[in-house]
Amino acid sequence: MRTGRLRAILRLFAVQGTWNYERMLGVGMGYAAEPLLEDLKAVDPVRHGEAVVRSAEFFNCNPNLAGLALGATTRAEYEAVPGAQIVRLRTALCSPLGAMGDELFWVGLVPTLVGLALIGTILGAGWWAIGGLLLIYNAVRLWTSVWSLRTGMGSGMQVGAAIGSSWLPKAIELAGPAAGFAIGAALPVVADWYLKSFGWSVFVGAAGVAVAGVALTRWFGPTLTSVRFAILAMILLLVFKRIGL
Amino acid sequence: MSELSPHLIIVLLLWGSLVGLDLVSVPQAMISRPLVAGTVAGWLVGDVEAGLRVGVLLELFALDVLPVGAVRYPDYGPATVAAVALSAGVPWEMSLGVSVALGLVLAVLGGWSLQVVRRWNARAIQRRAAALAAGESRAIRLLQYGALLRDAIRGFALTLLGLVLASVIRDSVRLDRETAVALTLVAVGSGLSAAASGAFRSSGRGLRLKWLIGGMVVGTLIAVLT
Repeated sequence: MRTGRLRAILRLFAVQGTWNYERMLGVGMGYAAEPLLEDLKAVDPVRHGEAVVRSAEFFNCNPNLAGLALGATTRAEYEAVPGAQIVRLRTALCSPLGAMGDELFWVGLVPTLVGLALIGTILGAGWWAIGGLLLIYNAVRLWTSVWSLRTGMGSGMQVGAAIGSSWLPKAIELAGPAAGFAIGAALPVVADWYLKSFGWSVFVGAAGVAVAGVALTRWFGPTLTSVRFAILAMILLLVFKRIGL
Repeated sequence: MSELSPHLIIVLLLWGSLVGLDLVSVPQAMISRPLVAGTVAGWLVGDVEAGLRVGVLLELFALDVLPVGAVRYPDYGPATVAAVALSAGVPWEMSLGVSVALGLVLAVLGGWSLQVVRRWNARAIQRRAAALAAGESRAIRLLQYGALLRDAIRGFALTLLGLVLASVIRDSVRLDRETAVALTLVAVGSGLSAAASGAFRSSGRGLRLKWLIGGMVVGTLIAVLT
């Protein structure tokens, strides 16, 4: 089981490998579950077959917390919990694990580290800043994967309570403000880095484009994304230059 | 864009495939972030400054992306590699606008190509539905390896297309200095607007907004003092 856990943790890094609109992470979860379910084959081959089928069914959550669901459902399989209950647990975990993982990683940790790396790079830390971003992010992610699988396997059907009393809710509270601060600090530093050699009139012009971008993308919503705004602004610039404006 | 040797093109294609895989499939180690992908690509082509300038600017656009659930989002990794290849060897003030424009178009194409791969994955699963229903572990493994291969090919193709487009732009697009610099400034302004939009949207009106504004004050001080 110990080598099975190690292989499962490694496979969790590819849990989104077969992402699709029908089963989403399902097949990736089945792939990660395979080494954990191996021991069940010798004990109860029929149950093992059923468990493999369930492991690859529809599932979706943030990939960094998928280990919680994987561990909990695996333990439930070994404890011979009725299949319907395992399916319900898996379904029930999708939304909370998605929301918490997205808040912690995509809204919190990643922007925080990227913001700090941007500042560090521009202030001269160069490769150290980029290496720091990669090292810290991957260390947190690896630790979270190990913790998730261990917590899931330790709590089984009680995984919801284990999550509620864990470090996750508190970390999510802290991660959001940290990201806001890091990105807020990075923006003026980046703007200065690009624009300081041009003088004030250019600085004001670029700031005007930035303000217009924020206002228009907010006004038009998803129909005018930041990328579309940028491409449109560049096309307009070329057209104006062409007609001599 | 300086002339790229064949072995350098191969290295860039491999790097583009890797960062393409990293976005979603494996290992999501953040090497696909434009800051990382761009700086490494700059080092590979012998112009780290170009890699940094392009990488940082495309990173501002990437900060506006929340890769949540089934949402469609641009793939900046291979796009950044191609944009850096276009920018290398040219003063950044002159090349950044055009390179970032190429990068943004490729990133959108990359987002679309992700959807295609996901639909192919679904079709592959349908083809193996009977084996999955029978609980065959081998079927799961084959599906996983096939999907990873598809995504690697996607990253490779996207990088290849980007390098071809970069070569075409280098040979056929001639901009005067004023227009090239203006494009760069519009790109920088747009990038700042993208990152700011994302930050304000994530902040809402609560505590995080106060931290965002506090960060802006600190960042402004850093910019003024350095």
